Amino acid sequence: MATAPKDFRFGNFVGSLIQLIFWILIIVTLVGLPLIFIILFYVPLPPINGEVLTPYLFFSMMVDPTRTIPIINFMIHTDMFRVAVFPGFTYAALLAAATIFIERKFLAKMQLRIGPLYAGKIEGILQLIADGLKLISKEIIVPSGADKLIFWTAPVAFVVTAAAVVSLIPAAPGWVVADLDVGIIAVFAFLGFFPLIALLFSWASNSKYPFIGGMRALHQMIAFEIPFILSALPVVILAGSLNLTDMANAQYPYWFVFFLPISAFVFYISSLAELERIPFDLPEAESEIVAGWLTETSGMIYGLIQLGTYVKLYALAGLFVILFLGGWAGPQIFPEEILPGYTGEKIYNATTVNAVFWFTLKTLGMIMLILLPRGINPRIRIDILLHTGWYKLIVWAFINIFVALLLVYGGILGPGGLLST
Amino acid sequence: MENLDEKFNETIKMGLEIVKETEEDRLMTLSVGPQHPGSGHFRFTIKVDGDYIVYCDPDPGYVHRGEEKMCEYRNYIQNIPHLERPVIHDSTNITYSYSLAVEELTNIQVPLRGQYIRALASELNRQVYTLYWLGIYGIFLGHSTMFMWPLGDRELFIDLLEALTGARVTHAFNIPGGVRNDMPEGFKDRCLRQVAYFEKRLVEYEDIFYNNPLFRQRTEGVGILTKEDAIKLGVTGSVLRASGIPFDVRKAEPYDIYNEIDFKVQYMKTGDSFARSMVPFLDMRESCQIIRTLLDKMPQSGEVRAKLQPNPKGPAGESYKRVESGRGALGYYIVSDGTPKPYRVKLSVGSFRNILALPYLLIGSKLADMPSIYWSLNYWPVEADR
Amino acid sequence: MSSNQSNTQNGSEQKEKVSESVQTSLSKKTETITLEFESSIVNHLVTRFTDKVVQVVYVRPGRTKILVPPNEIVQVATFLKDTLKFDHAESVSGTDYPKDNQIEVIYHLSSYSDEKLSSHVLALSTRVDRNDSRMPTLIDVFKSTEYHERETFEMLGVYFEGHPRNERFLLPEDWADIPPLRKEFRIKGR
Repeated sequence: MATAPKDFRFGNFVGSLIQLIFWILIIVTLVGLPLIFIILFYVPLPPINGEVLTPYLFFSMMVDPTRTIPIINFMIHTDMFRVAVFPGFTYAALLAAATIFIERKFLAKMQLRIGPLYAGKIEGILQLIADGLKLISKEIIVPSGADKLIFWTAPVAFVVTAAAVVSLIPAAPGWVVADLDVGIIAVFAFLGFFPLIALLFSWASNSKYPFIGGMRALHQMIAFEIPFILSALPVVILAGSLNLTDMANAQYPYWFVFFLPISAFVFYISSLAELERIPFDLPEAESEIVAGWLTETSGMIYGLIQLGTYVKLYALAGLFVILFLGGWAGPQIFPEEILPGYTGEKIYNATTVNAVFWFTLKTLGMIMLILLPRGINPRIRIDILLHTGWYKLIVWAFINIFVALLLVYGGILGPGGLLST
Repeated sequence: MENLDEKFNETIKMGLEIVKETEEDRLMTLSVGPQHPGSGHFRFTIKVDGDYIVYCDPDPGYVHRGEEKMCEYRNYIQNIPHLERPVIHDSTNITYSYSLAVEELTNIQVPLRGQYIRALASELNRQVYTLYWLGIYGIFLGHSTMFMWPLGDRELFIDLLEALTGARVTHAFNIPGGVRNDMPEGFKDRCLRQVAYFEKRLVEYEDIFYNNPLFRQRTEGVGILTKEDAIKLGVTGSVLRASGIPFDVRKAEPYDIYNEIDFKVQYMKTGDSFARSMVPFLDMRESCQIIRTLLDKMPQSGEVRAKLQPNPKGPAGESYKRVESGRGALGYYIVSDGTPKPYRVKLSVGSFRNILALPYLLIGSKLADMPSIYWSLNYWPVEADR
Repeated sequence: MSSNQSNTQNGSEQKEKVSESVQTSLSKKTETITLEFESSIVNHLVTRFTDKVVQVVYVRPGRTKILVPPNEIVQVATFLKDTLKFDHAESVSGTDYPKDNQIEVIYHLSSYSDEKLSSHVLALSTRVDRNDSRMPTLIDVFKSTEYHERETFEMLGVYFEGHPRNERFLLPEDWADIPPLRKEFRIKGR
């Protein structure tokens, strides 16, 4: 039974309440109201259904929720939304978080463990948040003699570059942040930044193990860059375009993975190397060079690089889906109407939702495939890795280029081909 | 002391060498351990020229506890619990040869059933140690599944040993004159069941780890220790058997009832990291058979230990006894001066002998092969430091 | 093993002398076992070197101990390696005897290359002066003694002449006390 403190007086209680109301009024009058007026006067408000979004319209939403639909419809078609939310960063980061959770549980099941269990009551679903909080609260230690500017900017640059790759990946027809005509080239151009960042960061750490790790990262990524690009070339030949959306649309009835299986395999192996995942995690080889180029990272610097790695993982899995698995193509399973007789006006588009669903599903499957080797393989050695990259994968990648040329000149696939629509 | 001067001169010489080395830009000196994830409580300095190791200097001693000195202050029975601290994962074997040596000094006869139970416990404990070693070997090569599986299956044997001895890791089970207590009821069936399950698991280990092409690429032909070098360096245990010498103390010099047990000494001829990692695995498989035979031949009842005096002591003399532990021959050299306390105890442990091969194998190999060579030497830093 | 048979023939004259010094085994069950093989090794040694150089301490089943002076130890060890096929050292240990003012250094030698010797451990011991403890190293004969001798140096202060690194091995870098396994070194509180 709750009891009041000994020096409790009702008068004081009422007085404190009045004081609180007084301060709220003061703040609203001095800060809130001027802010609203400034917005009204100086910020051009978007027109919704032909009329300007006035405060009256805004407040009337509270009365009738259906009136918010045009506003949401407007908001989700702005560039800001695309960059920040849907095909952009939030979507990628959410998928990355899902990836980490899947990786932990999936790997644990393979290794006859349980995995995260306690955080969040249900199967440790909040473990990632706990880890993030831990990383944020940790001290960031900068090694003495480190190049401070590069040391601080490299992790940010890592995340930014990963996000830049994500911005080029379309998640549904028309849903892409930057719809470039040279999409695939831009993707490879951005991916070329990563070895540079790894090397810069390892150099800036002023430590021996990071330096070895950085050199390894450079060797590895350059060795796998060429088969990576070569394996995407047949898709470009067959699609007749460098635009990623066109590529996805070009494989409408038949996915390219059936025509170009070797290219798909080379692309998959090269993405593993590009992502520094086991068996290609040489730059971070724990038992050899401590943690490779991440040795001197601590706290949120490490967290940012991990975030960037998983965002990059999503980007490359998405790229594989776009290039070889037909992008968002899939049977229409969502009905045209949300409720019988209600089409959801402009907020619900069955085709787009369907496309997003299939794209996400395929990407998650692809992510699982990228996670799988970690459970069954040891780490490879650098000379075997370089040999694989330079001698084997490049040769293999060429095979399907010739297959693609044969298909195009035989008039089977490609623009105006027999099998393409 | 005079040798201090010489030591001092040598130190100056070494210092001059270090100054010279900084001028050589090609070489990079790396300190592996004791904070390195791939070293254990151990440090070795290596110098790399590009990707190749050109210099290696082991520096043990981070967990030196002076076990040999401690032994001189306690009587024969009191020594048992602290003597198993160097290898808590193989604690039955490390007290086994101690018990044998003390039995010889104090002239105690072990009853037959006691000998069988002792051998059974040491076989089970060797499995525990080898599984732990195998798990570490897996994670050293980046194979995380091979880290989790052996450590999970190790629990089986730990549970068995807990039922047998009463403690999970540090058993203090072997005492001069036998073992501390008899087997619990139903232990035989439980043991046979778990060994049968474990043999199935061993097949899976082979599938996922030893037959993995990437694992073979990384270990085959790496760090080859020839037969001649193995003899010259005096290595022991799995390292020796991997180089083509079928030497096993259980076979060469059978102690207790091992001359009645029929088993094959597992060995390979290549002497590379793969052979050194495969031999303990084959030993585990053979050990399962030994456990079956032991349980089969064991007398159903009888004493498990001889009656001990409160403070056992024997005439002045000395004894050197060795057993086959998870890391090879483990010998005790005990000098007695007729009092209940040993005058001098010396442990001749496999780890300390095997680590001599490390510089020979590392120099000239690649940096990436360092963990696979180092841990294949079956080195337990704590045991080597004593 | 042909050399073994020749050993017994050569050493048959001194066999009686040796058998006096053979201690009866401590263990009951080993009394019945004959010690022919062990005696033959010892006889061979005594024949090659005189019994002033090689003193037989005991002969037991599988275990033999001989005592040689420090200046002769390299010759004896070379003979053991080349003729008797002892090819490695299992351990090198030292025991401090303050009463005799001596330190005993014991090399436990065994063999991998000879199957018959694999069950045998020969203790090659020598006694050095406690105040000026130095003796020649056996590293040129038995490579496997390298780290053991280093350990003996820091634990007992026996300087091994010719050993490349008589320096700290297991003890802390800043160790500034007497060698810890000498008897006058006391553990604190004991």
